[in-house]
Amino acid sequence: MPYKYIGRTHSFKGKTLWEIVGNLKNFGVGRLVVRNTVVERYPEPSYYRILKVETLPQPKEESLDNLRKVKVLLEKTFRGVTNPKPVCIESASYKTDYRLIPKDEEQRYCQYKAPVTNEKIFPSTMELPPLMKEVLIREMKIKGEPVVEPVMDIVYNDKKRRIAKEGEKPTIEIKIGLGKPAALSLYKGIKLE
Amino acid sequence: MFALNVISKTLNLPATKSAVNFQILRWRRKPRWVPIAKSKQFRIPQRPVIIEDEQIELKRLFNNYRTQMKSIKRYIVERFVAARAITTDPKDIQRIFDEDFARCNKINDEWNSDIQSKRIEYFENTLEENINLAKESLQKRLELEQFKLEEAEKIVTEQKELSKTFITADNIDEAIERSLANPVDYNFAVDLDGNKFYNKKTL
Repeated sequence: MPYKYIGRTHSFKGKTLWEIVGNLKNFGVGRLVVRNTVVERYPEPSYYRILKVETLPQPKEESLDNLRKVKVLLEKTFRGVTNPKPVCIESASYKTDYRLIPKDEEQRYCQYKAPVTNEKIFPSTMELPPLMKEVLIREMKIKGEPVVEPVMDIVYNDKKRRIAKEGEKPTIEIKIGLGKPAALSLYKGIKLE
Repeated sequence: MFALNVISKTLNLPATKSAVNFQILRWRRKPRWVPIAKSKQFRIPQRPVIIEDEQIELKRLFNNYRTQMKSIKRYIVERFVAARAITTDPKDIQRIFDEDFARCNKINDEWNSDIQSKRIEYFENTLEENINLAKESLQKRLELEQFKLEEAEKIVTEQKELSKTFITADNIDEAIERSLANPVDYNFAVDLDGNKFYNKKTL
């Protein structure tokens, strides 16, 4: 009788890392593996090169909920950028989401030229919300100070992005409000500014 | 049914249309220890499908919102901190402390003087009241003692009056004579009209 699985489905596609590594010569050192969900998500290539493998014991009762793990040291390339330090995968090795790249495809897979784009320069300050701005302007008037458009510093989540220095013109504008929609079809019948 | 009636009324539905089709929402979560319902045991929830455009747009909007909120929060905090900026100069710190102390002391003195006047008034009033109360209670006590004395005197005079009819050794013979001469018969009958009938045995 065929098995019938009951439960939530997931978006994984592939094998566990042990299934791949355990069947290769010398545990596949030097070969390429990819996480399928990551590959599907981004256009740039993301892959791992196996550097070192440490086996882990087989679980006593192996089942779909208790798959064999393996400890693997990898060179990580994410979206075309190679990590200078190797990474270790152990706790996530049970996920049935890994795929081996055949040897003849490796070279083609790793080929990636970053497209030449203008660097985005983000603004360091932005306007305040309308009510707050009005209150501040009134405060200035009451105190008798010269009325200047109040601005606030933007707090960005990361430190990687390029923020406009003094006198530099940012290429991106951040404003209070809806901004530029990603797809106009979502705002059908709505008057946009 | 009650809830349905209420909904029909609140939504101004016509009498012919009742709110049968309305789904009443549970107003609180099922407790965590309650297990999954038998009917829901093998239910496989549908994986949500979000349109790509919509996902990108939602991500963009949420990113903007978070950045803006963080910036606003930081701005307000910085303004607040600047407004209450404290110097590190010990002279300034002493001055700020002295000013604050003087301000607090002034308020404290005001409270003290207020309470002092209230206290003087209170004690004056209460002394007078206490004296009056003591006087009243003394008067009551005196009256009570006087009353008790009078009552006792009354009893004594009554008893003195009665003692004249007592049988003593001197007049015992006379008393015996009198009682023999006047026999008293308590053995009587009563009819419905209240008439007493004596000497039943002798009749």
